[in-house]
Amino acid sequence: MKFVARRVAVSVVMLIAISILIFIVLRALPGDPVIARLGTAPGITSATLARLRAEAGLDQPLFAQYWTWVSGIFHGNLGDSYFTQTSVSSLIQQSFPPTLEVTILSIALAVAVAVPAAATAARRPGGWVDRIVTALSSAGMAFPPFIAGILLLLILSVRLHLLPARGYTPLLENPGENLIQMVQPAIALAISVAPLLLRHLRNGLGDALATSYARTAEGKGASLSRVVWVHALRNASLPSFTMLGLVFGYTLGGSVIIEYMFGISGLGSLAINAAFHRDYAVLQSVVLLVSALFILVNLVIDLLVWRLDPRMRSSNV
Amino acid sequence: MSELILRGATTTTAPRPWARWRVSVSAVVLALIVLLCFVGPFLSPYGADQLDNGDALAQPSAAHWLGTDEIGRDMATRILTGGQLTLTIAFGSVLIALILGTIWGMVAAVRGGIVDEILMRLADISMAIPQVLFGLLCVAAVGPSLASLIIITGLLLTPSSARMARASVLQEISQDYYAAGVAYGAGQVRLMATEVLPNAAPGIASQAVINAASAIILEASLSFVGLGVQSPQASWGSLLQQGYGQIYSTPMYAIAPAVAILVTVLTVNLMADRVGQRKGIRGDR
Repeated sequence: MKFVARRVAVSVVMLIAISILIFIVLRALPGDPVIARLGTAPGITSATLARLRAEAGLDQPLFAQYWTWVSGIFHGNLGDSYFTQTSVSSLIQQSFPPTLEVTILSIALAVAVAVPAAATAARRPGGWVDRIVTALSSAGMAFPPFIAGILLLLILSVRLHLLPARGYTPLLENPGENLIQMVQPAIALAISVAPLLLRHLRNGLGDALATSYARTAEGKGASLSRVVWVHALRNASLPSFTMLGLVFGYTLGGSVIIEYMFGISGLGSLAINAAFHRDYAVLQSVVLLVSALFILVNLVIDLLVWRLDPRMRSSNV
Repeated sequence: MSELILRGATTTTAPRPWARWRVSVSAVVLALIVLLCFVGPFLSPYGADQLDNGDALAQPSAAHWLGTDEIGRDMATRILTGGQLTLTIAFGSVLIALILGTIWGMVAAVRGGIVDEILMRLADISMAIPQVLFGLLCVAAVGPSLASLIIITGLLLTPSSARMARASVLQEISQDYYAAGVAYGAGQVRLMATEVLPNAAPGIASQAVINAASAIILEASLSFVGLGVQSPQASWGSLLQQGYGQIYSTPMYAIAPAVAILVTVLTVNLMADRVGQRKGIRGDR
């Protein structure tokens, strides 16, 4: 229980620290969102500027501004966008589902590819399957998601006309169309993420198969498939499960560019737009939300592993 | 018995020339890429900004190997000059991360205790924000320009350098020679500069190579969404953005920068693998 409490406390402290960091980066560095919003329109008096600053709360002391933002989070009130004047929480509500969907789909795809590939490769270390899988995963790791995305786009949309290039239809509105639109973004993200999982799992399986319990299982007459899938995978999957937390963060980062590329109006596109317009109100909340998501997923995974692995429980109390 | 000795002998000696050879292959390819980008434009019959309006968005041909862009500039030449910018940004930011990260990690390792704790938590915190988003945050704050791009990318890579530097330095100061140096009364700065850093260099260097790949990807990501290199300057990322806009009419416009980024990142990754392994071999002795 002590472990759980400490782990949760660390996450909360990290979140607070991240919110301060985000705030400092945006406010301490030069740059004025109000001037950015007005652009180079002529004839703006300093009185207008001051009024707009006051409306956005930018004339308050920094600490007061920070407090308004953070306390607002607990009331679901994140302020208004400097640029469009719509409420930030409604913008985030609209953008959250697409990002979540892309992330979940691509991770599911990565797991679906990585687990069987790693299991097959581990059956014969150094065999041709192992070597091909290792080579492919090295190549996949070099693919930044947006490069994979643009190459997919060139092949599947431009050359073969198989899939639509851009656009997003909400899942609940038209599931079929939505899934077709999600194919390319999900593959693009999975290509760079699956190799990480695959390598980790492959090494874990290799170690697990070299243990005496794996040999015992084989000696008792279990088939190699059974030893790999039932005995070794169970032990090797927990460390890889931890890896999944990192993969999640990587996917969230990659999806920013992927969303922009495929015209998906998710958190990534929202953040890019906000950065363009120096819309600090939107940007700070989006970045915090994504970081919070990353920390939360890692927390949940750590606690699950702790719960599932008796060795962890006894050593970490 | 003889087989055992033989096997032992092959495993200790055989991989090393192989490893060295692989370092040199990726290093040579990288050197070639750099050379091409910085010397190639002089050999090209076209200037980087030379217009040929009659021949805009041309497909690849004998005259224009990679076709032309929307105002008739030769794509092959633009890729090479764009590479200059991308490589310069990568080099500059890796250098920033190397210097700041080494100092950061070294101070954490040597001071230990609460200083170490604070410095490393700081690294954890800044690494919990996805890099691209952190990049967007910084660009929004200071505005996109070449200098800010180099500094931002450098700062984003600094925490990972700091972690590596800390680990490498910690490993070195646990060795006897460090204790001996302290016992002989060598000053801490001198001990660090002349003894510890040279020994910790392989680890720090391998992180720098990994950072180079991240820097290229980060630059390209930010430029791709229009928040990196601004026109009239062009990098591989901004060329990719423009090519993406012409993807149906002139696929080569997008393919060329995408392949340039991919090949360079792959080469740098291969180099990082090998540098890391050499370090492993060294560490095992």
